Amino acid sequence: MTTPNLEEVQARMQPGVITLHGFLGHDPRPLAEILAEDNMTVAKHMVTHQQIASALRRLADAARNDLEREVLVEGRYRVTVRNDRGLLPSPWGDGLFEKGEMVVIDPTTGHTFRFNALSLHMIEAHGFYGGRGSPYRLDPLALLEALDLQPLGTTITDLRKH
Amino acid sequence: MNPEARYRIEINDRARVLRVGGGETLLSTLKREGISLPSACGGRGLCGMCRLKVLKGGTEVTAAERKKLGEAGLASGLRLACQLRVEGDLEIEIPSALLGGKDFRARVEHIEALTHDIRAIRFRPPADLDFSFRAGQYIQITIPPYAEVKTETARAYSLASPPSQRETFEVYVRRVPNGIVTTYLFEHLREGMELEISGPFGDFFLRESDRPIVCIAGGSGLGPIQSIIQDMIDRHLSRPTQFFFGAVNLRDLYRVEFFRGIEADHSWFRYIPALSGKEADHPYERGLITEVVERKTGTLLEHEAYLCGSPGMIEACLRVLQAKGLPEERIYFDKF
Repeated sequence: MTTPNLEEVQARMQPGVITLHGFLGHDPRPLAEILAEDNMTVAKHMVTHQQIASALRRLADAARNDLEREVLVEGRYRVTVRNDRGLLPSPWGDGLFEKGEMVVIDPTTGHTFRFNALSLHMIEAHGFYGGRGSPYRLDPLALLEALDLQPLGTTITDLRKH
Repeated sequence: MNPEARYRIEINDRARVLRVGGGETLLSTLKREGISLPSACGGRGLCGMCRLKVLKGGTEVTAAERKKLGEAGLASGLRLACQLRVEGDLEIEIPSALLGGKDFRARVEHIEALTHDIRAIRFRPPADLDFSFRAGQYIQITIPPYAEVKTETARAYSLASPPSQRETFEVYVRRVPNGIVTTYLFEHLREGMELEISGPFGDFFLRESDRPIVCIAGGSGLGPIQSIIQDMIDRHLSRPTQFFFGAVNLRDLYRVEFFRGIEADHSWFRYIPALSGKEADHPYERGLITEVVERKTGTLLEHEAYLCGSPGMIEACLRVLQAKGLPEERIYFDKF
């Protein structure tokens, strides 16, 4: 598989290409910088993008069968999962993902996270959490606070490189 | 013969033969010849809706096709019409469910809010167009560029009006968060505007049989089920039919009185709306639609089922229906 051209990826992330608002908000930085900053944040806390994506996916999966009814998951998180017909292509060109919206409300920290299957893929496969100002940005620090993830060992080779 | 018609395209074992100039994608070429294939990705090879079989000819497979179709799909002759360029003769197979599609502009006659996030849009096609369809089929609506959306964008919507309603047709649209097309339809579309329509498409329609029927829908999925039931009334069909409609809260219910009226007038029809949310003060069934189907039906060995809703709803309903003995080949739903 060829290394993706980040300029092309960034072009596909613009508003109106894949989704109405796109993925970058008002972030003026090149995609490589956005990825590097979030990568560093996650690395400092000795967790991985895959752990974060898995935790969010676990919460969403617990509510999927409730067909948009809000569910209390793990006695803490209020989760609602909606899916819509149709698919969204990844800006990296590496798959198609179900449309919809997953909402996780954590009353303990006060954080609310909105994401979908494509968001999870972009975190897991590419370490992408959205640009600053994007209504769908998932702030890694907020995620780390809300998800109670355990750090891995001391190595940073678990982290995906871009 | 037109000297510019350099290439020959044979469709479905010469059921139709085109002579074309070449140089465009097969998708564009077919569209120019009046054969509209569905496409939701603007020809980028992402949605896969324009797939067809190429028996002979064809340009080199693109990376997008390898990703979308896989080696097994490519080995069976599948290609994406938006990726293949017409640079030689071709023999192709197009699914019959896609062959009836027409392209036309239709005027928006009426827009009505059915719920907080679902709208009915009624269109009037050109007077000289014979727009006929089977209840349950869908059309593709193409919106123009707007705001930051720089290109035309198309999406599929099931028809909610019955085939007998000849002069106009309706779709029910549910707003998708951050959606390109639904945001346009909700915030920019006005009565009197025109939109590009393609269709009808799809093989979701009532099968000819005497079997009793279970219909299950959620959200805007009510539309094609409504079309099917109205068509049954128009054609004087009286197969025992149960229609389960699932929603979360009272504000998500619509067309309740309409279906109650059908129930009152037709003894073969039962309408069972259900709410899964916490509201207590209502007369409807309580629980997830799958729970309600489970407790309100017996074995379904002899039935047919028609499902229309979100992928999650369809997955959940498939499990319940199959556990009640309904074979998979008699459970119908749109796969888009």
